[in-house]
Amino acid sequence: MAHSQSIDKAKILETFPLRQALPAAVSGWTGGREDQVFNRDDIFDYLDGGGEIYLAYDFQFVFVREYVRPDAPSIVVEIYQMSSSQDAFGVFTHDTDGEEMELGQGAIYGAGLLRFWKDTIFVRIMADRETPEAKSVIMEIGARIAAAIPGNGEVPGLIKALQVEGLRPKSRRYFHTLISLNAYLYLANANILNLSPETRAALAQYDREDSTARVILVEYPSAERAADAERRFTEMFLLERYEAGRKMPPKKIEDGHFAGLLRKGTYLIIVIEAGEKPVLDWLIKTISHNLEGGKP
Amino acid sequence: MKKRKTAGICTRRDFIKGAALGTLGMALYGKGRTEAAGGTGGAALFAAENPQSIVVLIRNEKAVGAADKVDAAVVQEMIDAALKEFSGEASTARAWAKYVRGDDTVGVKFSRCDWMRVHTDQAVIDAVVKRVGEAGVAKERIFAQDGGLPFAKCTALINVPPVKVHTLTGLAVAMKNYINFSPAPSKYHAPSTNLGEIFLLPEVKGKTRLIIVDLLRPYFGPGPQVNPLHRWNYHGIMVATDPVAVESVCLSICQAKRNLFKGEPWPITPPPDFIAAADKTFKLGTSDPAKIKLIKLGWDKDILV
Repeated sequence: MAHSQSIDKAKILETFPLRQALPAAVSGWTGGREDQVFNRDDIFDYLDGGGEIYLAYDFQFVFVREYVRPDAPSIVVEIYQMSSSQDAFGVFTHDTDGEEMELGQGAIYGAGLLRFWKDTIFVRIMADRETPEAKSVIMEIGARIAAAIPGNGEVPGLIKALQVEGLRPKSRRYFHTLISLNAYLYLANANILNLSPETRAALAQYDREDSTARVILVEYPSAERAADAERRFTEMFLLERYEAGRKMPPKKIEDGHFAGLLRKGTYLIIVIEAGEKPVLDWLIKTISHNLEGGKP
Repeated sequence: MKKRKTAGICTRRDFIKGAALGTLGMALYGKGRTEAAGGTGGAALFAAENPQSIVVLIRNEKAVGAADKVDAAVVQEMIDAALKEFSGEASTARAWAKYVRGDDTVGVKFSRCDWMRVHTDQAVIDAVVKRVGEAGVAKERIFAQDGGLPFAKCTALINVPPVKVHTLTGLAVAMKNYINFSPAPSKYHAPSTNLGEIFLLPEVKGKTRLIIVDLLRPYFGPGPQVNPLHRWNYHGIMVATDPVAVESVCLSICQAKRNLFKGEPWPITPPPDFIAAADKTFKLGTSDPAKIKLIKLGWDKDILV
């Protein structure tokens, strides 16, 4: 993930096709404040203290429009332009609580908040408070935006590799850096997996044979960097001596759960919180097989 | 031979063992996390007989009504009742007089975040400002602000935060409410371990007379942007002087709510390790539930602590 250069905001306001797709008015709601655009340089002017989550992906800019109507909740439309469909999917997976819907390539709605992704776009539309009419308008605006995005994008390959029996679909996360991992799953107060903008990482939770487990799958730019992360996880999390080339057996940790890992070239498969050792073994074996089979 | 190669690394396993953040760490990640984080065993926490810190929590079912509308009169009553309990005084005036003098210059530090929308409710701010004025502080010497509060010239600060789980710091209550007193606030984001040192800045140290927490509509989701499903009407106000104890109680409440929402443990992440550091490193108060006495007043349905 190489960060994009900041983009001319005036030009976006003039030419952004999805802005043209937005209705000037809908069911009595009309434009409130002037349309705004924030890029990597000034995202904190919009999300003070929250921009880090987007900057952790190759976020290019966000277009923001507000709709208002007297005596009705205001509705804010945010259209995030990412540089890749993988990163649009990744941002979409940041918070998956809500009801899944058919829109774009994946959508979730709950209590006045709609989120969906399609191709390189992530969209977030929220009403101040949910009313039946506001919900209807949110859906209409969402449908217009989705229809104006011409193509579909690829789901990250790592996510496909995690598609095995027992997967909780809404537990899937795709990201690059430590700040994202820490928002989903805390491993340590240091970057023991050597995550960086150049790494691709995915996370998922499984229910299998009355047991649960979590998998972290990371793809590194080189086998050397993957091996270094393998060493660091072995020494700092499993608290075991690392020997290059030696397969580390799963380890039962303090809470009675099992943790283990396998490096496969540039990939590192880590399983934690496994209730049973056979579940850990099965997940590593199956995901490893998926990686061999060219799923990613 | 087993050997940890890198000193200073604190992992999930340290929280499970209780080696990091003590009981609260175990509540997040340990075996007894459901009980310790507000489940059936939650009542045993925050019940110190000889407390180092006291925290008063008051709740009123009528504080938040239809369409999430906050009742300002009820909020005023709640703050008054909680402060009387906390101070041990029978009247509101005498209670406030213990913390604010007529010659003080008072900063009422609240939190306002337009985009996230989880900020200190105006009813809480107004109630505090009203009582500070009644305590004899001239209007021109009361500064109720978020950004730009002239804390250096204040002789007294009243910390009036909302409560939210936070993507970068784990939790945002009394400690994080002072983050913009720092000239470099972003250095306290991820990691936020040293958040407590802001309380020791020369212009801040020793000035906090009261902490009045807006627990009317806290936020328990991952953030940073609000998901309305993760906001709930708790109908509470909390009063204390120990910011670390406040964080500990709020952590327990939010963690319990997360567990209830998911129907299984949903640990707050990243763990708010600044709470333990505020206790052990910066000596700002206690994070230990065994040293905190929580006095609960009013409505107790779904109190979670």
